[in-house]
Amino acid sequence: MDSRNLKKWINTVFFVEILKGLGLTFRHMFVKPITFQYPHVKRQLPDGYRGVIVHLRYDDGTEKCVGCALCEAACPSHCITVVSAEREDMPQKRYAKQYILDMTKCVFCGFCVQACPVDALASSKEYEMATWNKRELMMDKEFMLKLGDKYFPNRRARPKLYQDQLNFFTKMKQKNFPTAKGGVA
Amino acid sequence: MSTDIGLRVAVAVVEIAAVLGVVLLHVAYLTYLERKILGDMQDRMGPMEVGWHGWLQPIADGLKLFFKEDIVPSGANKIIFTLAPILVLVPALIGFAVVPFGAKTIQIGPLEFHPYITDINIGILYVLAVASLGAYGVLLGGWASNSKYSLLGGLRSAAQVISYELPLGLALVGPILLTQSLSMVKMGEAQAGGFWHWFSFSLPFPQIVALVVYLIAAVAETNRVPFDLPEAESELVAGFFTEYSGMRFAFFFLAEYANMIMVSCIATIAFLGAWQAPFPHLGFVPPIVWFVLKVYCFLFFYIWLRATLPRLRFDQLMKFGWKVLLPVALGNILITSILLYLSRL
Repeated sequence: MDSRNLKKWINTVFFVEILKGLGLTFRHMFVKPITFQYPHVKRQLPDGYRGVIVHLRYDDGTEKCVGCALCEAACPSHCITVVSAEREDMPQKRYAKQYILDMTKCVFCGFCVQACPVDALASSKEYEMATWNKRELMMDKEFMLKLGDKYFPNRRARPKLYQDQLNFFTKMKQKNFPTAKGGVA
Repeated sequence: MSTDIGLRVAVAVVEIAAVLGVVLLHVAYLTYLERKILGDMQDRMGPMEVGWHGWLQPIADGLKLFFKEDIVPSGANKIIFTLAPILVLVPALIGFAVVPFGAKTIQIGPLEFHPYITDINIGILYVLAVASLGAYGVLLGGWASNSKYSLLGGLRSAAQVISYELPLGLALVGPILLTQSLSMVKMGEAQAGGFWHWFSFSLPFPQIVALVVYLIAAVAETNRVPFDLPEAESELVAGFFTEYSGMRFAFFFLAEYANMIMVSCIATIAFLGAWQAPFPHLGFVPPIVWFVLKVYCFLFFYIWLRATLPRLRFDQLMKFGWKVLLPVALGNILITSILLYLSRL
């Protein structure tokens, strides 16, 4: 019997490989568990984590969204519904009269966040939205604004450019410039 | 005269109740211990939610099984379907009647409390015979469920149990030869002294080989990994107890763990010196502590095996039992008896 066969025979009769396996599991008894107990301890989320989509405001409290519906066009799940309208107080400026995001369809890809030209949308780190009532998951604008206030307390200043143009439009309104509301001709 | 008999009966009833209570408690907490140890070996925590670190988990499990709906499959033979779990659990429990847990007899007034329920002179034979009855329950459970998975699982399990009973019994013949008696109490008393008197280390022939054969056969008898193909969760759903739910399932479950404890007790008594201390000067520790410690060593070994090994295929299982274990057990008997005869010349 050559030495390789002898080694195989010894390994089988004396259960050498089984004993090595037993040694491994025994050693692992003293390794700290790599699991953590979720509801009591929560995971540290990475920086780019994409949670629930929220709406943001400027530092003067006005909402950023202009109702352009680019997010609705970008969404791969078609879960956003935007109805835009002209603002009563600032003609030629628009807002989203109705903004519905169906969270049951949302895949949290963040395309809408990337598509928004005014950075009105953001991915928060919220993921615990389980509920007994499915209708709560059809988010409207107030809900998303509230979430945005909770997760993004630092608000950007409204760009000054808009302030100048704002003054122009207010002046136009005073001079009875034709607006979409009033109709052209 | 009648009061004497009455007292003896009362003592026996108290002892039986105590042993059954303790054994069932151990069975319940063995499940908890198994889950915790398996978790530790797999780098995770076991049950942690119910009670401090999960130690109320067996109670939660028991309550859950108690309140579950009792389903009897249509087409199943109702009488045998009900009888099968009983036929599995009762033999597992009545084997504890002859196991001696300690050395001293406690005397309270006219009452004598032995460390065993009874000391019949065919102790080991009784245990082996009663354990064989468990195979009936498995077969009947598999067949009475009216399901192909259960039937196959039951047949495989019965074949496995029958095949491995032979090496189990033959491995025990070595210690029986060294004790010159089948009684378990005498077997424990024959291993007095230090650990070099224990049968697995003693002259004329250390019974290490018999211990290994016995351990492997015992793992196969109780349907534990690596021999748990009959109840393989990934292959046969749950084998012969697929169709059982609620308390009937609990009975099968209890029977498996009670069998584990039974087999560990026999291994302790036959190979590791029952309640004897490893060194004579450690005799001040109560003997029952040594007994429980040794039984738990075996139970830990069972759980350790479960965490480590994959499952044997059924043909590999049968080949191993008949072609390897049986000849080795017979060889052990041959060598032991020859050396014993020569040492007594």
